[in-house]
Amino acid sequence: MPSSEGGRPRPAKTAERLRRMLIFVPYLVQHAGTKLSEVARLFDVNEDELTADLNLLFLSGLPPYGPGDLIDVDIEDGRVWIRMADYFARPVRLTRNEARDLYLRAVALAGAPGLAEAPALSGALRKLADALGPDALGPLAERVEAAGSSPAGTMLEAVRRAVADHRRVEIEYHAISSGEITVRRIDPEEVFLAIGNWYVAAWDDRSDQERLFRVDRIRRVTPTRGRFEPRGLAGAGRPLYTPTGEDVEVRLVLHPGARWVAEYYETTSEVDLPDGTLEIVLPAKRLEWVARLMLRLAGEARIVGPEVLKDRVRELVSRTLERYLLTSPDEPSDA
Amino acid sequence: MQPVERLINLVALLLNTPRPLTFEDIRERMPEAYAQEDVNSAKRMFERDKDLLRDHGIPLKVEPTDAWEAEDGYIILPDEYYLPEITFTPEEISALFVAAHTPAEDSAAEEGVRKLLYGADGGILTGLVGGPLATGPDVSGSRLSGVADAIAGQERIRFEYRTARGVVSERHVDPYGLVWRGGHWYVVGTDIDQSEIRSFRLSRFSSDAVAAGEAGRPPEGFRATEHVQAGPWGLGPPATVARVAFSPEVAWWAMSGVPDAEVVRTREDGWVETSFPTTSEEALASWILGLGQDAEVLDPQSLRDELVAQLEDVVAEL
Repeated sequence: MPSSEGGRPRPAKTAERLRRMLIFVPYLVQHAGTKLSEVARLFDVNEDELTADLNLLFLSGLPPYGPGDLIDVDIEDGRVWIRMADYFARPVRLTRNEARDLYLRAVALAGAPGLAEAPALSGALRKLADALGPDALGPLAERVEAAGSSPAGTMLEAVRRAVADHRRVEIEYHAISSGEITVRRIDPEEVFLAIGNWYVAAWDDRSDQERLFRVDRIRRVTPTRGRFEPRGLAGAGRPLYTPTGEDVEVRLVLHPGARWVAEYYETTSEVDLPDGTLEIVLPAKRLEWVARLMLRLAGEARIVGPEVLKDRVRELVSRTLERYLLTSPDEPSDA
Repeated sequence: MQPVERLINLVALLLNTPRPLTFEDIRERMPEAYAQEDVNSAKRMFERDKDLLRDHGIPLKVEPTDAWEAEDGYIILPDEYYLPEITFTPEEISALFVAAHTPAEDSAAEEGVRKLLYGADGGILTGLVGGPLATGPDVSGSRLSGVADAIAGQERIRFEYRTARGVVSERHVDPYGLVWRGGHWYVVGTDIDQSEIRSFRLSRFSSDAVAAGEAGRPPEGFRATEHVQAGPWGLGPPATVARVAFSPEVAWWAMSGVPDAEVVRTREDGWVETSFPTTSEEALASWILGLGQDAEVLDPQSLRDELVAQLEDVVAEL
């Protein structure tokens, strides 16, 4: 083995390699004959790096480094065997940061709506808390939890399967913006969680562009025969609203009780006014959803413009009031 | 000899030694590793290796080599090094794998779950039926880690906070717990200036949380979830059972989103009458109003009256 001491060692890379090896070696000691490709995927390392790591491991072991002291590595037909490394049969403990972050993420996902893995995650969390205990988690196991019930029964699992298979699907979608139900074909690429809802980033055949769909608004998913080549679409951490050329600028003044609107929706401008209100500009392609939002805010927000939005709100209020003023609750209109 | 090889050998040696080894012992057993003629430069290399191992969570200890404590040696105690045995079902380990996954970068959570894989049955990837999921910055991040560490270390924190109503002020809080609700993390603890337990949404922090001394303990029987405000179907005993009719367009969606909703009947025009418990009439009113003419409260009458009053307000304000 040529010495690398001539060049300056790169500590970051060395540390990363060491950490990786102390994690995947135990896996291989326990799982003899695992495919290189599977190890590469599980431990997020490319196969060339993995082979280099294994070649290095082959030279390692215990003093006096005779043939019987060295770790035995066999690579055959793309599979790996590691022997003579019983002391690496179990990995090093999780660091506090690893235990903390894993625990927090698992609690959050277990509390996300309608996830099929939620029961398994709850089981895993209990085992983590028991096994890692006060050392790694401190009091966190008792102090971190999800609240509120998470309704199930959405199309989440069907959409995730389509993402994994690169399967084009037909969906029946209830658009929040217009209140319309449409049937469209989409190529779903990434399912992600944002402000408590699942979304899917997909190519939308109907509009011939990338769109984000809220998964709980998908009423039906039907797989088609078609598969697609992923375009690298992703949604996590991105604004949930992409401006379009046809957007109307909706200008609202929010009283304190309606300020959450500025946190929840994408705005293009937010100005604090001296009286404690907040003036915002919401870009909106359709006004239907903004009119509904105004009802929801019930007096906590004032429309500055456009004028046509006020007309929409008046129409919506009068149609909604009809239900209450013209019928008594137990004599429905169809009776 | 490559640095990684030297480090692997060092871990193996110190993990297998029955007694602490001095630097001279180590140099003698690993002659190729610390081969420098100058002892001091060999020692410096060893010191760097030792620091690197510790930085990466390897519990390398310094202990006296004998009862007289004349000399210190190095050892990795197996009990401190090895991950305790945890057996997960294939479903559990797949679920953790999915939860830890972050699309953009490698995270500590992902590194942690990889360590747990060693005990799992093979074929973990084939067990991933659901496909990958991604999460945004609201699930994790340095602000969350900082608050979690403060809870674990029983430290008071100080931070700038903007309330939902837009009021900004500096808060001093003894943090007791974290609650995940509706897509947000909340820290629950005693607000020192108000002398009462409050919840603070992490996404409303306008600064990092800074350590501000030792924190008090949570009161007996403390449950963090009891202090986080909930929506129409949050925690606590339901105040009311509401009867609501939904139009055919929104009924399926409303039913899938409302916990414990029951269908009372479906009318000839396709409207679906449902009944469900709610913990807050105010939050329910706001949710129903947002559905416009697609929803109608049938019962209780007080809620009907409230909705009518609010609708009239909306028009009056235009």
